[in-house]
Amino acid sequence: MKNYIGVLKGMSTIAKIMVLFLLVSSCEKEVFDPSLTHEFTIQSNSNGANYNIKVGLPANYNPGGGNYASIYVLDGEQIFDFVSNKCEEISTKLALANAVVISIGYGKDRSIDYTPTAVSSVTGGGPQFLDFIEKQLIPLIEENISVDTSRSGRVILGHSYGGLFGAYAFSMGNKLFGNYILLSPSLWFDNLIALQFEKDKRVENKNKEQLVFLGIGEAENAGRMQAPFEAFYQILRDNYTGIRLQKNVEANLAHMGSQHPNIIKGLNYYFENR
Amino acid sequence: MKTIKLLILSTAVLVGTYGFAQKDISMPTKGLSPVGQLTIEPGLGIHTNFGTDFLITNLVQWNPSKHLSIATHTSFNINNITQRSFNGIITDFNFSINQKFGIGTTFYSAKRSHTFLLMAGAKYTTYRETLDDERFDQVGTTVTSFSPDYGLMYSLKKEWQKYFFTYRMYVPLYPWPTKSSNILYLDGNVDNVALEVGIGMRIK
Repeated sequence: MKNYIGVLKGMSTIAKIMVLFLLVSSCEKEVFDPSLTHEFTIQSNSNGANYNIKVGLPANYNPGGGNYASIYVLDGEQIFDFVSNKCEEISTKLALANAVVISIGYGKDRSIDYTPTAVSSVTGGGPQFLDFIEKQLIPLIEENISVDTSRSGRVILGHSYGGLFGAYAFSMGNKLFGNYILLSPSLWFDNLIALQFEKDKRVENKNKEQLVFLGIGEAENAGRMQAPFEAFYQILRDNYTGIRLQKNVEANLAHMGSQHPNIIKGLNYYFENR
Repeated sequence: MKTIKLLILSTAVLVGTYGFAQKDISMPTKGLSPVGQLTIEPGLGIHTNFGTDFLITNLVQWNPSKHLSIATHTSFNINNITQRSFNGIITDFNFSINQKFGIGTTFYSAKRSHTFLLMAGAKYTTYRETLDDERFDQVGTTVTSFSPDYGLMYSLKKEWQKYFFTYRMYVPLYPWPTKSSNILYLDGNVDNVALEVGIGMRIK
């Protein structure tokens, strides 16, 4: 009997180690090739914050002759490596030129930078953040890296509040970006203010060539995500003549869980339809 | 790979709880006699997503032997019950139904029993949201989904006159790690951790 209990204890210990291994392996951080990554900090003239910027170059980057697309990634401190690796994989799979990935780190709190209006002391810095992107970041990137300097060569990718900021940029900064990958966008924010911005700027923007990918998780059922997402999709579908539009609802996944699958689908849609 | 991970987790839980049970065995009390016992345990509960879901549940458990438990668990959930109108977004309805079957082990102390079950089944969810703001066209969207439902259940029974008080906790193992080991998937699990209380009765 003692031997039996000893064996059980041993098995129990092994099982616990295996569970620990499983948890640790789940937390492994993906890393993009450091030799292709350039990093610097820039202070915003609009809000005074310092932004850590990472630039991920294509593996075969040609500084003189390339005309690469540029993908500006919000929440870059979280997803830069994942997005950069997926761009490399997808462009290779499709035999297309890869893009330069620009990660925008956190300057002020993301809830300040990514929200277009102030409903509290920690929201409402979106206009200053967009101004920083337009007047400092994009010019700096395009002066120093061999990227396409036209609107159609620029992509903005954001999730959650980042998706809200992307929708805000679609309406208020449409001259900057021709491509939008908006994932689980918080369109409910400030009584649907992003939909109001779209409505206000529709006449100005509706005939421009643009690509929009909208992604969400099927399990985002907290009573705020699905209806404005569907409304935004229908508005774009019914009113924008020059749009290439796709939406994806990721089965059985919630707000964070749907992020990576929707990034992959959004990037695939972009590379296949740009 | 997913199957291997599920097996690892299952083994860990079953071995761990069985080992624990071996250490803490005491003679079962009269009211919670384990062998051949069939119980039915209706209950009410919440999910841990800020308590916005209301659950009506039932567990039927049969112990064919002292340390073997077989169970079926049914849960009808009225989701997002406390916030049906938000920023011009109306939740018209939001329900889900879970049906699971499980196997596990039970150990006993005076007037109490503790059951650990590995459960598997399916979940059906349907909900509808409508954008209802006079500035915009009204847009409604309905989401209907089926998903697997795997997880671990702990059930405490405490003797109470001829009935027993029951407390249950269910920790889902879907979508993490059975759909993917991506830790971001965990928010789907956390939204569905269930805490339930009820009154049980012995059928046999």
